Amino acid sequence: MVDIRPITLTGLFMINIINLCVNYKDSCALDGVSTKIKKGDLVAVVGANGAGKSTLLKSIMGQLKPSSGHVDLGQLSPKDIAYLPQSHQIDRKFPITVREFVSAGAWQRTGFWRVFSQTEKVSLQQALSKVNLIGVEERQISTLSGGQFQRMLFARMLMQDAEIILLDEPFAAIDAQTTVDLMDVIHNCQTQGKTIITVIHDLALVNRFFPKVILLAKHLIGSGETKLIMTGENLSKAGYQHIAYIPEPTPSIIKVYPNIQLNIKPSLKPSEICSNPEHYEENAS
Amino acid sequence: MTTDLYSLFLEPFIEFSFMQRALWGCLVLSLSATPIGVFLTLRRMSLTGDAMAHAILPGAAIGFLVAGVSITAMTIGGVIAGCIVAVLAGVVARHTNAEEDSSLAAFYLLSLASGVLIISAKGSNMDLLHVLFGSVLALNNDALILLTSIATVSLVSLAILYRPLVFECVDPAFFRSVSKLSSVAHFSFLLLVVLNLVAGFHALGTLMAVGLMILPAAVARFWTEKLGTMIVIAFVTSVISSYFGLFLSYHASFATSPAIVLVMGCIYILSLLIGKRGGLLTHH
Repeated sequence: MVDIRPITLTGLFMINIINLCVNYKDSCALDGVSTKIKKGDLVAVVGANGAGKSTLLKSIMGQLKPSSGHVDLGQLSPKDIAYLPQSHQIDRKFPITVREFVSAGAWQRTGFWRVFSQTEKVSLQQALSKVNLIGVEERQISTLSGGQFQRMLFARMLMQDAEIILLDEPFAAIDAQTTVDLMDVIHNCQTQGKTIITVIHDLALVNRFFPKVILLAKHLIGSGETKLIMTGENLSKAGYQHIAYIPEPTPSIIKVYPNIQLNIKPSLKPSEICSNPEHYEENAS
Repeated sequence: MTTDLYSLFLEPFIEFSFMQRALWGCLVLSLSATPIGVFLTLRRMSLTGDAMAHAILPGAAIGFLVAGVSITAMTIGGVIAGCIVAVLAGVVARHTNAEEDSSLAAFYLLSLASGVLIISAKGSNMDLLHVLFGSVLALNNDALILLTSIATVSLVSLAILYRPLVFECVDPAFFRSVSKLSSVAHFSFLLLVVLNLVAGFHALGTLMAVGLMILPAAVARFWTEKLGTMIVIAFVTSVISSYFGLFLSYHASFATSPAIVLVMGCIYILSLLIGKRGGLLTHH
């Protein structure tokens, strides 16, 4: 039985997802997902590969046409959404400077022509400052490290100054310190009343930083408060049934997540550990 | 000495109007085709450009069949055929399991074969050579007006489309999320590619037209990592190649369009060896 818990029963719902079904050609990507997200919520979207997480984000943006159901943004429109795509979708070799790249965040305001007012220039500097990227404005994006690149994506997202922020795997392949710094940026956005929905694979981060979660396996396993949803039973339904934890934590991980308790199942083969980085379970106290 | 240099390098372009016309044709073509070539290579669409260059042949051939060697008829035919093939290849890639590159290859082979068949059925071998390798030394006023008009339209369009094109190239998923211009930018760009290929077709022929787009752009990538500078280097490469290609063609009686493309090829090989960004010798 699917454990569906609405995120909140009262208050102002910013995003209302109603019986959403999305198909790619013949295959179903999302099947009858219904949930509500309140203004100012910080929500993690969790699920195994192919669970429909990115599809959910694209449906919220209106980029994918649902086969049935719909996403109600109330008074808002897709223009009020800032989107941070997976970094592998970006051409990192393209000859463009950090400043030019981040300036794309002002597209909704500057539009077709390169009219970049003094106010926008100040906003750009502030965005770069918030992600600690001052001094690299004129560098080509191809010269940035993985962490700097992700910070730059966050700066562009900040430039958008949107009410709803959708992040698709923002912490993939970056170090622990950058993750914490960018989580700070996310929290600052939340305190400004922004609604943030993040696709994320790292369950430790979900437990530690995200108060609410949407657990998907094409259909909705559950949505609501993280501690209520991220149960062993629900995770098992979402495809996390096999394992355990990944290797020894690095000192930096322990420093950042001191409360993590590791469950290492001795039956797990090393090859399974390495090839299934998503398949683990952890308990954060 | 000065007289020798003058007669060697300048006289052909001062004394003979056909050389002046050829140089002018190549210059305006370089102005518009090289920035488009830079975007084509950055979008990893060099082979798409090659395929589309071949794809315009049957349209031009039908124009030739209807009106003989008429610039207007062959231009209209070429543009229509290029657009149809570009759209068809995209549709086939999206609605079948075939990859876009294999569909483009299939379409351009069909186009090339049918184009050659149509021309050889009605015209002479000279007509066929004219279509395949162009006739840059025989550009008349109509052809120059066409090339200059296409260059003007291309440059104005590129100036308007520059930002959308850049953002669409570097992060299409993001750009789709903030603008509905993503597909407008893409298809407008494809149309500009077709227009410039048709212009190049009149000067350099269907087999060589794409050379003026891709080779200078490929050269530029070895020398800079800035987009604006890349476009300038590509343009300068194209102008130098055009001049020396015509120069060689005049003094050594080489076929003109292959001579121009071969000069570009030499600059490319040089850049491949000593280019400061990824050149074989500098890299190691």
